[in-house]
Amino acid sequence: MPTVRLRDASEYPGPVQKLFEVAKAWFNHDFAQPPAMSRVMAWDTELGRYHGRAMKRAMTPGEFTRAEKEMVAAVVSGVNACPY
Amino acid sequence: MSDDALWYEAALLVGLTNALNVVADAPLAALEPARPDPEAEVVFAEIRDFYERADVPVAFRRVAADPGYLADLWRATRRAFSDHRLSRRLKEALAFAVSVTTRSQFGTTFHLGEMRRLGVGERGVMEVLGVTQMFSSYTKIADTLQLEPDMGTIAPVDWSPPPGDPPPPNTRTPEAP
Repeated sequence: MPTVRLRDASEYPGPVQKLFEVAKAWFNHDFAQPPAMSRVMAWDTELGRYHGRAMKRAMTPGEFTRAEKEMVAAVVSGVNACPY
Repeated sequence: MSDDALWYEAALLVGLTNALNVVADAPLAALEPARPDPEAEVVFAEIRDFYERADVPVAFRRVAADPGYLADLWRATRRAFSDHRLSRRLKEALAFAVSVTTRSQFGTTFHLGEMRRLGVGERGVMEVLGVTQMFSSYTKIADTLQLEPDMGTIAPVDWSPPPGDPPPPNTRTPEAP
């Protein structure tokens, strides 16, 4: 169980709703609710904006494809023993 | 990148990477034989050839007192790092990410060198480092708040067989054993 109450997407203000739409497009998946991590990062919109931008910059295809980078992310998460 | 065979390959690579790193980073220099057995020298030659370098990485030198063990460890490592479904270039990037994440000095230096040797440029290195750093952030945020996985269903299950097995019938469903 999460140690905090995860807010429903509808509890966030309008500009954040747009960010959730961007997240939906990023993952190419129609979530019933934005991923928990998206909702957590949106709690502090300024931090979330910069962090999210850094993440997208890192994940954008370059020398490595997006898929290859997703695999790097997965192994980092696995090594960190993070089930999320 | 959509089938599970790739993830098996990646997981095996992660395991071997960590296995090499734990020995290489530990204070075990005293275990390196001053004069390796001729059987170990044969393996060392294979290692030098694979990595195109004059020296043998410390992770292998430290287990050379048991040439049979060295040979098996090396051949498992070579299998894990060779081109299969995943390219050797990507595998070195994964090993680099694992090594940075686990704070392995040996692994970070070694796999950074291998990435560069295999043609990854500075931009590519920064890409892998950026992904590693960002997901080292996300994972700790998720752990701190004990977030439960909620994106596990966005990718379909794939029934690709392990290496050497025949392909599955196209009609197979995710419910099949």
